[in-house]
Amino acid sequence: MLRIQQLEVSRGHGPHAFRVQLPELALEAGQIVAVTGVSGCGKSTLLETLGLLLRPTQAQVFTLGQEAKDIRALYASGRESELAQWRARNLGFVLQNGGLLPYLSVWENMVLPRRLLGLPAKADHLDAAIATLNLERLLNLYPSALSIGERQRVAFSRAIAHAPGLVLADEPTAALDPETAHNVFQLFFSLAKELDLAVLLVSHDWDSLSQFAIPRLQAKLEPGLSIFVPEVAAPCL
Amino acid sequence: MFVNVFRLAWADLRFDWRISFCMVAAMVAVVAPLLLLFGLKHGVVTQLQQELLQDPRNLEVKMLSSGSFDQAWLNKLRQMPGVGYAIGMTRSLNTQADLRLDRRRFLENVEVLASAQGDLLLQTQARDLSPNEIILTQEAARRLNWTAGESVHLRLNRRLDGQLEQGNKAMTVVDVLAEHRYSRPAVFVAPETLLALEYARDGFQIPDFSLLTGKPLATDMPVLYARARVYASTIDQVGEVAKGLEQQGIPVASRYADIENVRAINRVLSLIFGVIALTAIVGCAASLGGAFLANVDRKRKDLAVLRLLGIDSGGVIRYVLIQAILLSLLAYALGLGLYGLGSTLFNQLLVGDGLQTDFVCRITLAHALYALLMVAGLACVVAAIGAWRAVRVQPAESLREI
Repeated sequence: MLRIQQLEVSRGHGPHAFRVQLPELALEAGQIVAVTGVSGCGKSTLLETLGLLLRPTQAQVFTLGQEAKDIRALYASGRESELAQWRARNLGFVLQNGGLLPYLSVWENMVLPRRLLGLPAKADHLDAAIATLNLERLLNLYPSALSIGERQRVAFSRAIAHAPGLVLADEPTAALDPETAHNVFQLFFSLAKELDLAVLLVSHDWDSLSQFAIPRLQAKLEPGLSIFVPEVAAPCL
Repeated sequence: MFVNVFRLAWADLRFDWRISFCMVAAMVAVVAPLLLLFGLKHGVVTQLQQELLQDPRNLEVKMLSSGSFDQAWLNKLRQMPGVGYAIGMTRSLNTQADLRLDRRRFLENVEVLASAQGDLLLQTQARDLSPNEIILTQEAARRLNWTAGESVHLRLNRRLDGQLEQGNKAMTVVDVLAEHRYSRPAVFVAPETLLALEYARDGFQIPDFSLLTGKPLATDMPVLYARARVYASTIDQVGEVAKGLEQQGIPVASRYADIENVRAINRVLSLIFGVIALTAIVGCAASLGGAFLANVDRKRKDLAVLRLLGIDSGGVIRYVLIQAILLSLLAYALGLGLYGLGSTLFNQLLVGDGLQTDFVCRITLAHALYALLMVAGLACVVAAIGAWRAVRVQPAESLREI
């Protein structure tokens, strides 16, 4: 699904330059891994790189998707639309604030990735997600009528609507209170297991996540450098 | 992809209807008054031009002096650019004759004009006349008390070798000219008949008019006209025809000044309309440009999400342009509706109430289409600025709160 070897990405120039390294990562379907670290350690930079939003400075291996597409070649081709298509097809995103479009109903938000890929709106796995996340009664509402927790549940269902294989979640519970955050994580992880999804979850709140016994990549900080290394020899490596 | 982008753009406009309404209102506030202003300008100028066109005498270029012009000159005159119709005339003294039905019904010194097919003065009643056919004007027929089917005698007097002689010829009336086409008592004859009247007065034998004394008319005698009745084909060409004759040393008179007056009105109104339109368009473009830019900034996060979900730069440009086109179409439709109300009001209140015209405010279908293209074009140009900003929104911007 996702294979990385010796990936490095830089931000800034001169004395303000900051590098993020990921020596190795292999993520298969059904695996969940957390990326943790203090604020400013480069978690979001790593997520952007893995989400094909930021070009890595170097990578020995960087493949994504069932077909193990070489992302370095995709960047080298310079075709923005191809990259956008590959991202749209193979990745699902859960954003900090949900990232729902305010002018679409919950249902329209959920099926938008499918429509943009030319897929039929209805899908069995989406129905299962709606049931698991208790979203049936919210489908016709607009995001402004939802609580933050409900928005995040809708955001999860949108992220998996097109069966992307890999879901990248960026601080999805940052705006929630601990109890709601725990409930949302619980629902999300059970959905990921049920649908056999690979999930990479960025969070600064390991305390909430540690209860779920998932492996994690922890940022080790050095001057101008952050290296994400596995804390536990876990199924993600 | 286009359908999806269209659907998203439309849903966004509908959801954000207050902002959409403001943008549409900004355009309607320019489109409707401009359409009305242009309708008024076009209506007034069209009316003035139609008035000029309706009276063919406005097309006439009158030759003020007599000369000696042969048939070749007349043929050349007819080929001159801008000449719609030309027919030879005799000396003005010889373009008069008496009309007589019987002892009590007669008219003296009636105007006699040559005419033929294509005569702009007679318009639909113009025809080629044989030497014994005439067309009476309505006024001549009324004063003669002529009734249909009666022959009219064309008479002239001449003094030859001290003797007073009277020429006379029975003519068939083939038509009576509508009064609005020529209001004076007159008779239209074939060019040969008019020439015969001149030859008779010049002392020649004209058996057709029972004038058997005088010099015989040589068969090879060249036809010479003293002047011609000349009409330009359109009012725009009156000046050119007049200039062409003046270059030949022939003094002329025409309604060129009146035509130029209408043109000047058109120019002045066009200038006024142009300046007002330009000012309004610049204001509207600035207002819309600001609105589109502010809208893109306001929706930066949503645009970033759309890009994250797979819509590329082209899709983002289409998204913004589709919104601009939809807004401009709506604004145009409302503007046209308001124009319809305004023009109806103008036409009902002003026509027939001091103004001798059918309408004062009107635009043609072509004008309406041009206006539509201009509105949509302006919206697209302005939206392009917004689109340029929108394509710079990076999908990564959706990942974090800014």
